[in-house]
Amino acid sequence: MKLKATIEHKPNIPTASMADIAFLLIIFFMLTITFEVDKTQVVLPKTTLRYEIPKQSAYVSIDPNGRIRVSDGNEQSALVSAADEVLSMAAGVIAMDPQKVFVVKSDGEVSWEKVDEVIDALKRAKVRDVYLLSDQRTVTDG
Amino acid sequence: MKLDRDRPDDEIPTSSMADIAFLLIVFFMITTTFTATRGLDFALPEDDDDPPVVEKEESVLIEILPTGELIVDQDPMQLHEIIPYLKPKLERNPKKPVIIRPDTATPYKYMVQVYDELRQGEDHGLAEPINISVPTQREIQSFWY
Repeated sequence: MKLKATIEHKPNIPTASMADIAFLLIIFFMLTITFEVDKTQVVLPKTTLRYEIPKQSAYVSIDPNGRIRVSDGNEQSALVSAADEVLSMAAGVIAMDPQKVFVVKSDGEVSWEKVDEVIDALKRAKVRDVYLLSDQRTVTDG
Repeated sequence: MKLDRDRPDDEIPTSSMADIAFLLIVFFMITTTFTATRGLDFALPEDDDDPPVVEKEESVLIEILPTGELIVDQDPMQLHEIIPYLKPKLERNPKKPVIIRPDTATPYKYMVQVYDELRQGEDHGLAEPINISVPTQREIQSFWY
């Protein structure tokens, strides 16, 4: 009887395209990454209309206890004691870049008085573009 | 003559490329935070020491009480009733200012709710965007009284 010669196949996993997939993922993350400059925990108000906020915008956040934090968009946000400090910070940022966009990130339960002080400070600092950070409103929100 | 056929290998070593790439992926995955980066634009008018005087009678005043109830031109109203109320007025005068005036104790979310509703005026059949004004307390004290 004639026996067939056994051909040994070396087991191998094809890894040639692994680097391609990995670099594709890297490019995705590089394009989508935004370094968060403000980590204040707030429950944002909900709106139907929501527009994309430009990257590197300056932030003014108000937490549920009414504490205000500011960031110029490059550095981490810092606590300020009064709305007047928002004015001096915003004026400084606008002096450097008159087109700078400011984002008001406030908890929905904060009283209007507090937000009003911040918006007034931004107005006095000659800020033109402000975004009110919000979450998406859905039909179930009523 | 004997030719030397022991040429060095001219391949680029790529075996560690996937390791480096995955290391970078892990870095980006850890540092990425998916946050809300959308909101409602709220263009501020220039801070003018001499703003145009708007007669209260020429505008529509929406007051927001701390409970979230709305008083539109002295009458209580529901949020969805505002646009139908404004429609005939704005058809006569599309530039008619609509002033949002929340009480100082009103939660911020109610002001945003009204502002969002007014911004959708065109979706509800209005020909032009509503001329919305949200005066600050300083402006109210300086120019209204």
